[in-house]
Amino acid sequence: MEIRDKKEGEVAIIEPVGRIDTNTSGEFEDKIVEVMDRGETRFVVDLKEIDYISSAGLRVFLMAAKKLKSSGGSFVLCSMSDHIKEVFDISGFTPIFTITPDQASGAEAA
Amino acid sequence: MSENRQVRNLNALLDVAKALGGEMQLDNLLPIILQKTTEVMDADRSSLFIYDDTTNELWSKVAEGMGEKEIRFPVGIGIAGDVAKTLKTANIPDAYEDDRFNPAFDKKSNYRTKSVLCMPMINNDGSLVGVVQVLNKMDGGAFDDQDENLLEALSVQAAVAIQRAQLLEAFVEKQRIQESLKLAADIQMGMLPKNFPAFPERDDFDLFASIIPAKEVGGDFYDFFLIDEDHLCFVIGDVSGKGVPAALFMAVTKTHVAASTIPGVEPSDILFRANNELSKDNDQGMFCTIFYGILNTKTGEVHYSNGGHNPPYIVREDGTNEQVEGTMGIALGVMDEMDFGVNAITLKKGDSMYLYTDGVNEAMDIGGNEYSYERLEEFLTSTAGQKTTDIVAGSLSDIEVFVGNAEQSDDITVLMVKYTG
Repeated sequence: MEIRDKKEGEVAIIEPVGRIDTNTSGEFEDKIVEVMDRGETRFVVDLKEIDYISSAGLRVFLMAAKKLKSSGGSFVLCSMSDHIKEVFDISGFTPIFTITPDQASGAEAA
Repeated sequence: MSENRQVRNLNALLDVAKALGGEMQLDNLLPIILQKTTEVMDADRSSLFIYDDTTNELWSKVAEGMGEKEIRFPVGIGIAGDVAKTLKTANIPDAYEDDRFNPAFDKKSNYRTKSVLCMPMINNDGSLVGVVQVLNKMDGGAFDDQDENLLEALSVQAAVAIQRAQLLEAFVEKQRIQESLKLAADIQMGMLPKNFPAFPERDDFDLFASIIPAKEVGGDFYDFFLIDEDHLCFVIGDVSGKGVPAALFMAVTKTHVAASTIPGVEPSDILFRANNELSKDNDQGMFCTIFYGILNTKTGEVHYSNGGHNPPYIVREDGTNEQVEGTMGIALGVMDEMDFGVNAITLKKGDSMYLYTDGVNEAMDIGGNEYSYERLEEFLTSTAGQKTTDIVAGSLSDIEVFVGNAEQSDDITVLMVKYTG
């Protein structure tokens, strides 16, 4: 899958494209870990171009949020479509993540 | 070259070909190659280093005491490492004149290395298999061109034999993994209650459940049992991800949920306890969405808690249906000390609940269209009045028809319980 990453000030911005499901979640996890290994601690994942997230994808978000929280970092999600928001709502994940409307507000929250 | 030497070398190569031809096990093959190489090359000793492309290292087994141990070093280090890196033969009359040589082994074993002939073993496809190294020509001199030609002929044979053994090992290993995965899937499926009718002596409710596992072992499960004479517990769950980790987490979840079930305790408290257990030491972020219901078989009242699972349907006797209201709750294993809510609904005689995993509504046809809630709701309306067995089986076959030739990527699980008063 296509995953772009860039840096805005002190914040690492990850922009995955397409679906985060059983087939692609490993790749997505590798990317997050790779950026973490670079020493980044403040993360924004922009979900603007994501059409689908399965439970395998949710697991990666959860793993990243847990790791960053325990090391004093931050993990913010932004630009969720209604469909993606629904996945977070149904699984009960919405209250435990910081979710912002767009990248700029995400970077501020991170 | 003297005719004598030529004949001797040809015979030696034939010998080697014979010896290597029959051996398929890498562990047996390597000593044979070493022994034959030393013999044919008329050298004092030889070493073989196998290339590991996953770590870019060379490894070898060396005798130590009564046994042997594996040594490893990165490509680029020492004479053998340099040969692996440059893929160029090194023919060295005196090792101590060569700055790549590491005399540590000599010191340790009280040996004096002099002449060294070290050559890469290359495959037909041009990839590096390993490095062969021959030490101390018996006549005390340096290795010559003829020796190089002979070792090259030898190493080509050895490379083929080694690669053949490696391929075989990889194949056997893959088969072993597939077999153990299959076994894991069988064990997992064996954990789900499958004897139906499950409660032949009861006419106040009717229950049926079924699962179509995806090709790769997944993490769906269901469970049901009587908590006491009048209370039936029914559960459906879906673990994030696939493979053995998901299967293990599913087994642990099912066990904790059942162990937390105590007569008189609300579903919210049961999930609270199970969640605290599952959230301990869960660094991998595994989680399991779960719907937990308790049917009072005297009154038809159902108390339920939803831990992040797709909301089940209540299906009235006439086929009208709707998703049940959510409760506060999150998938199990995400975080400890999370609160769960509880709701109550009442099933009238003939009403039922249809529980499912997202493998149902997200089942995809070849065109990438989802089965969808709409189609599920239409199906439930159309099967009003049928037995749970028929509705569940019909539901799964309706999904199969919809999916057609598309590959099933997720477990598809359905549980239905009907209150018959």
